[in-house]
Amino acid sequence: MARTVLITGGSGYFGSILAERALAAGDRVRIFDLNPPQPAAEGADRQEYVAGDVRDLAALRDATEGVDVVLNNVAQVPLAKDRDLFWSVNVAGTANVLVAARDRGVAKVVHTSSSAIFGVPESNPVTEDTPGRPLEAYGRAKLESEHLCHDAAAGGLDVTIVRPRTILGHGRLGIIAVLFEFVAEGAPVYVLGRGENRYQFVHANDLADAVLRASGRDKPSVYNIGATRFGTMRETLGALVDHAGTGSRVRSLPAVPARIGMKALATVGLAPFAPYHWLLYAESLWFDTSKAQDELGWQPQHSNASAVIESYEWFLAHRSALEREGASHHQSPVRLGLLKVLKRLP
Amino acid sequence: MTDSIPDPAGVPTGPAAATVVVTGASGWLGQNLVRALAAERERVRCLVPSDDQASPLALISPTVEVVVGDVRDPATADRLFDGVGAEAAVFHAAAVIHPTRSTREFFDVNVGGTQNVLDRARRSGAARFVHVSSNSPFGVNASPDEVFTEDSPYAPYLGYGLSKYEAEQLVQRAHDRGDVPTVMVRAPWFYGPYQPSRLSQFFRTIRRGRFPLVGDGTQRRSMAYTGNLVQGLLRAEVADKAPGNAYWVADARPYELREVLATVRRALAAEGLPTSGPETLRLPRAAARLAEQLDRLAQARGRYLQPLHVLGELNHTIACDVSRARAELGYEPTVELEEGMRASIRWCLDHGEQL
Repeated sequence: MARTVLITGGSGYFGSILAERALAAGDRVRIFDLNPPQPAAEGADRQEYVAGDVRDLAALRDATEGVDVVLNNVAQVPLAKDRDLFWSVNVAGTANVLVAARDRGVAKVVHTSSSAIFGVPESNPVTEDTPGRPLEAYGRAKLESEHLCHDAAAGGLDVTIVRPRTILGHGRLGIIAVLFEFVAEGAPVYVLGRGENRYQFVHANDLADAVLRASGRDKPSVYNIGATRFGTMRETLGALVDHAGTGSRVRSLPAVPARIGMKALATVGLAPFAPYHWLLYAESLWFDTSKAQDELGWQPQHSNASAVIESYEWFLAHRSALEREGASHHQSPVRLGLLKVLKRLP
Repeated sequence: MTDSIPDPAGVPTGPAAATVVVTGASGWLGQNLVRALAAERERVRCLVPSDDQASPLALISPTVEVVVGDVRDPATADRLFDGVGAEAAVFHAAAVIHPTRSTREFFDVNVGGTQNVLDRARRSGAARFVHVSSNSPFGVNASPDEVFTEDSPYAPYLGYGLSKYEAEQLVQRAHDRGDVPTVMVRAPWFYGPYQPSRLSQFFRTIRRGRFPLVGDGTQRRSMAYTGNLVQGLLRAEVADKAPGNAYWVADARPYELREVLATVRRALAAEGLPTSGPETLRLPRAAARLAEQLDRLAQARGRYLQPLHVLGELNHTIACDVSRARAELGYEPTVELEEGMRASIRWCLDHGEQL
């Protein structure tokens, strides 16, 4: 019998891709989100939508009735720079999802966490045993929500945590749109310092595959998920500009002044950056994904380069129609602000 | 998270209540207490001040039932005790220690809230009311050699001390009238897991050698590791001799302030956080006396300035003797300063605090 899967945040950037994959796998999908989802391309008769806010436990209890599996993807991402909102959505919201799942006797919960819990790691690769040491409010909130998952697991709920590296794929915009905008116009794109930090991405399809595999495996666990073929930030951006062929080039900005500049512009509201961006952009962070490969039989299809190129192609195809109302942070292009100046530099 | 509780050697006790009510349940002490109770009791009814704190607590165990509301509000107290039945134990841990607005909050919450919960505990037929009190109703010791005992006279220290003094009066009167059997647990400066974020500053300044050591640092402070304090509270609930009494509950012995700073630096280093700067930043006693005077002036005008308050208090010995809690409650503090501080530091790091 088909499972009934509740996807919180199922209309958001990653949630909608996850919903699509779950439908394709034959699940009945119930989406819990502030915003309605796009019509499903496949299995639309198995998808339903419940409007609600994760800060509302009663609404979640209702939505969780008759559910076998909960995939928790609600998050306020770094671009939403509101600390109280981070806390009430990421922490209290996760607790509500877990309480509702426990009280309804849900068989499995998979919680999507974030590599932001690791801040800038002392060494790489980061494994499932590396302690979380976040550097900013978003990472702290995501780490706290992991603690809640452990509390729930100690109380008998089967909760697995999946931690993705930076997600790419069709439909991904947010801060990444800044980069695509520059590339499309043939403007230079920037790395901080020499850009030789090893920075790992993950394609949304590969992540969705990991989440669905985790949802079918009994017992609480933790998996770190990222591309297995990846390189430095400079190499990834190099692959993108080579593919684009717009004359765009990868350039270095001195790391320290650039960081100060990003922070200053963001503080006065002139550029779309959050602390996560200036803290992490020039740092190495990559996961050892062998646990997911061994235990889940998971194998990513995308490299860093193919993921960023696919995202870029989607951006080009949809560029004109992107100012859509009601989309989440990761589905909306951000406003460039003063970054327009950088774009005009020769 | 909680430490195992040794058998009360030779101390007569009654049964622990199947149903307990905890106010201040999402606070620093409350989190530790609820975790200790959740596994052992049938129902742990908790009061928390906001929605955001409800589910994180409810997750701990299906035995935990959370009520959201203001401890000053009688309708909230009705909901808190709704269906609790007779013979419950009440742990009243809700209080304001560092008000955000004015000193008025001390009295509204610490006195008014206590009266509100006492009333409802009486009407529900509670078996015991364990009240979390403080050193503050007793002020400071006259000399570094003196320790407070249960016979020491009241001498409330500023707004907080006065509010906790008034609360003690309410609790004692409720017991004397036969409303509900009460026990007061007087806890000094405590430390341990689930500390609020603002306390990270304590570790950060000590790590960098910027925490002021007033005078020669031989003034002593009693401190209570949260695990020790939880044990004291659980003992107070069951010990036969406890009703109608108050007990000092703290670590086994007071520590000199210079020892506290040195121990915290050692604990930080042991948890992989090397220290820098001087071991102590010496500050003349006159500076602390000035801070205390300014704190008094501010509080007389209803203002509360935390740094002044903390600095003013650092000049004094605030030490207590836990002998009576040992003898009558069977209290046995198991954690000492370095071990407890290391546990606190680990907890901070695990929760993303940057020290």
